[in-house]
Amino acid sequence: MPVILLEGLLLAALITIAVAVIFERNLLACTIIYCGFSFGAMLLYIIVGAADVAFTEAVIGTISTVYFVIAIKSINRRCK
Amino acid sequence: MDRRAKKKLAGLILIILLAAAGGMKAGSFLPVIGSHQTPANTYLSGYYIENAMEHTHAANIVTAVLADYRGFDTLFETCVLFLSGIATLMVLFSKAKVKDRRAKEEPEEPVLPGEDERGRGGSILDTSFRIIVPIVMIYGIYVLFHGELSLGGGFQAGALIASAYLMDRIAPGFETRMGEIKEENMLIVAGLGTFLYAFTGILPMLFGGKFLEYEKLPFGNLVKGGAAGLHGAGILMIEIGVTICVMSVIMTILEVVLERTEFDDD
Repeated sequence: MPVILLEGLLLAALITIAVAVIFERNLLACTIIYCGFSFGAMLLYIIVGAADVAFTEAVIGTISTVYFVIAIKSINRRCK
Repeated sequence: MDRRAKKKLAGLILIILLAAAGGMKAGSFLPVIGSHQTPANTYLSGYYIENAMEHTHAANIVTAVLADYRGFDTLFETCVLFLSGIATLMVLFSKAKVKDRRAKEEPEEPVLPGEDERGRGGSILDTSFRIIVPIVMIYGIYVLFHGELSLGGGFQAGALIASAYLMDRIAPGFETRMGEIKEENMLIVAGLGTFLYAFTGILPMLFGGKFLEYEKLPFGNLVKGGAAGLHGAGILMIEIGVTICVMSVIMTILEVVLERTEFDDD
């Protein structure tokens, strides 16, 4: 598969995930979808050759997801 | 949806569209991605690729740029992280509330053998995290010491070690096995990491060099390999500083946020 096509697919997936985060009402689900966004961004960084950035993105994406989950639990508003 | 909500939504969409238009307009002034005329593509990347090994003795060019060519920038990135930790502590930390909480805590009931010693996370989570946490910590240390030659460096290593602590804090039902660390002490450690970076910069100045000039570090007798060894030692010192800062800031924010959170045992 040509690299440019793979990049296009990943970018389309990222846009889809971003739109899905906006329209999802359940906050916990939002956080998990956002974690998927981070994963897609990591794959994109690997394709463009920035392995260091991809590594950072993978670690920070996980940690920020945990923070979001804790924050959602602390405001005690799971869905509306 | 009532009228006010509709108005709010329309306003939100308008703001997003305006921001997108502004971003696209601003983006039109930037060099085209992949263009041959940008400084990065005409001479800068080639210069780094050809000379980084000779100048900095670091095989990973990203580390060479981050810790050597752009060492001054990285110092202030570390300072920004430290400041974010201070800001979070200032906004979220409330001493009276914490004191109240700690006073209110009931004395722990004695745990009967075989009843609850696995923690509240359940045995599957508990066992898997017991395997994962040490491996992640060792990997963090490896990334720190190997950052000069392969992927990684201070930021990633700090985040990995902090994520091991985070797992340990989260997995056994919010009761840590490593022992709770007070957030105010953790922030002092973050300051020490930032200080280690700045100190590595200032140390060559006392021995007749410039700021962050690793060749003038006074460990010539301790390190093998002359200038290359001194470069390695200098880069390692600032990476350790960055690691300590990143790790402590992440742990500080986690502790502060958890302190404000009241979990039910449901």
